[in-house]
Amino acid sequence: MTMAARNMKTGIAERRLIEEAGAPGFAHAGWFDKARLAALDSFEAAGLPHRRLEDWRYTDLRQILEKRLARVEENSGRSDAPAGLLDAVDAYVALIGADGVEGDFSALPEGAEIMRLGDVLDEGWVRDAMDASVFGNTDAPQAAAIIDLNTALLGGGVAIHIAHGVVLEKPIHLAFSGNGTRHLRSVIVLEEGASACIIESHQAGANAFSDLVSDIRLTRNASLTRIRIQNDDRSAIHLASDRIVLGEGAVLDGFLMTLGAAVSRNQSFVRFTGEGARATVNGVYALRGSQHGDHFCLTDHAVPGCESVTLYKGVLDEAATGIFQGRVLVRPDAQKTDGRQANHALLLSREATMNAKPELEIYADDVQCAHGSTVGELDRDAVFYLRSRGLDEASARQLLISAFLDEVFEAVTHEGVRDILRVIASEWFIQERGRHHE
Amino acid sequence: MLEIKNLHVTVDGKEILKGIDLSIGAGEVHAIMGPNGSGKSTLSYVLAGRDGYEVTQGSILFKGEDLTAKNVEERAAAGIFLALQYPIEVPGVTTMTFLKTAVNAIRVARGEGELDAVRFLKLVREKAKPLNVTDEMLKRALNVGFSGGEKKRAEILQMALLDPSLCVLDETDSGLDIDALKVVSDGVNMLRSPERSMIVITHYQRLLDHIVPDRVHVLSGGRIVKSGDKELALELEKSGYADYAADAA
Repeated sequence: MTMAARNMKTGIAERRLIEEAGAPGFAHAGWFDKARLAALDSFEAAGLPHRRLEDWRYTDLRQILEKRLARVEENSGRSDAPAGLLDAVDAYVALIGADGVEGDFSALPEGAEIMRLGDVLDEGWVRDAMDASVFGNTDAPQAAAIIDLNTALLGGGVAIHIAHGVVLEKPIHLAFSGNGTRHLRSVIVLEEGASACIIESHQAGANAFSDLVSDIRLTRNASLTRIRIQNDDRSAIHLASDRIVLGEGAVLDGFLMTLGAAVSRNQSFVRFTGEGARATVNGVYALRGSQHGDHFCLTDHAVPGCESVTLYKGVLDEAATGIFQGRVLVRPDAQKTDGRQANHALLLSREATMNAKPELEIYADDVQCAHGSTVGELDRDAVFYLRSRGLDEASARQLLISAFLDEVFEAVTHEGVRDILRVIASEWFIQERGRHHE
Repeated sequence: MLEIKNLHVTVDGKEILKGIDLSIGAGEVHAIMGPNGSGKSTLSYVLAGRDGYEVTQGSILFKGEDLTAKNVEERAAAGIFLALQYPIEVPGVTTMTFLKTAVNAIRVARGEGELDAVRFLKLVREKAKPLNVTDEMLKRALNVGFSGGEKKRAEILQMALLDPSLCVLDETDSGLDIDALKVVSDGVNMLRSPERSMIVITHYQRLLDHIVPDRVHVLSGGRIVKSGDKELALELEKSGYADYAADAA
């Protein structure tokens, strides 16, 4: 038995409690209690992922989490108001805390529902969405295994259901904040032809550990725009896994901005189960100090005729570490696949590190796939050029950094949020400017 | 306007300029010609203040002040403008946004205050029209996908907007066909004034048919080896640089 597993057993020490009554503070259903125990078993068998596993090569969770799991922490999370800037976006706001979901959802149109996950665990659509068997033959079992931790210790979460043909005009804003350790699950299901925009803001407090899993199902011709801004305290740990299934003709337009947390790992598992679907999984990361941000993206083309785009861009300052591990898997039947994946990083300091591992794994012969990865510094010629036109050095750098990232912002379809992302980015660089003037 | 005395410059520890003396009065246009590797571009970068160009001896006075004490953007504010041989492409920044940022940065540095959007737009349209710079070009990312001619026209537009007192044109004719050369030269000539001096750096004489210089200097081996009036350029066109290269060696 690994040390991690021992720690899990003695440390969580709540196995009996789970066996008898489910996890503290979370409703339980018969099927889920079984799933929880099974997850605990397999997590105990595997232990915490560590550096010797290829999928975790750059992020040693064992080292990072062992200390945290060695004690049971009270769920101390309380959601505050969402980050100031996003207040400007007219949205249905749901505050997601360790112990519930708050918000006034009376204005939601018929057929759109936002609920506490614990209240609807027995609903068929929730159970289906949380069923991992669709990912059973995922090509990244090492990465997916960490989801067992979330299942075993799940303490709460949100369930969103958009019924057949319902088009939500206003976005839903899920505001995650709070302190301590939280194991939360989001279940998001869009039925046939439904359409929605879901914004997530993450503002966890000092030393928080957020363990988040999102199970997302887009049924035939459903369309989801999903924008996440992770701005946790810079002492926090942020672990997020998305399992997204797209049916025939479904469209996912996903964007993630990683700004916060001492250590963050975002995992995206996208799987096409119906033809003619399209998924965009884009991201921007801006890290400094000793921040560590890992982005793991697996796109599984299991059926023909789907299109996937993954574009990440990052800026790393000081001694920050950025990681991009991307894999586009095209299974033998998935002819006419269009899969593109790229990561581009700018290092603003000689101490910053970027690890990039883009991979294509193609078993079909009639496909269009491309991947790319670059790591570079700010173009000195361009900085000189802008300064020779009167811009001071910090402004010149800021302009070039913003310009570098803008390609990804440009692809964000919600105009109001797009503007906010640009402001957030330039505020990050204004902080950088302060540093350079010290 | 500009007084260069015994200027020695090294790049990466190698001496490129080996004692340049050059005096340019207000309103004068001086051409600097010379073979490849003679130090022409180095001279332009030294004037603009680019990092990595170290002045080891000599002085540069601009409007009576020591230019070498100023950084790049301070020189721009003081009135030095360098039109690059290869203008840099800046994806993600529209030409219009860049022009506004630059104009206002310079205006603030000169104590003139920023222009509001309406006045700025009026100014850009007025300066852009004779250079054939269209609204469509202004909406595109700076220099990205611009043809050689478009890039040079955009450079001259920047020059017109920033209102410099010393323009340094580095191989502005390179990559231009005859028509584009005419548009660019006309643009430059419109900016000639008794208060504005110019240094026109070129390898070929043809640019000087359009922008007629008051003085012509031949730079070779890091020194000015000959100076004369515009006839010198014609002479060079016939005889080439071979004689001067030999002199410098």
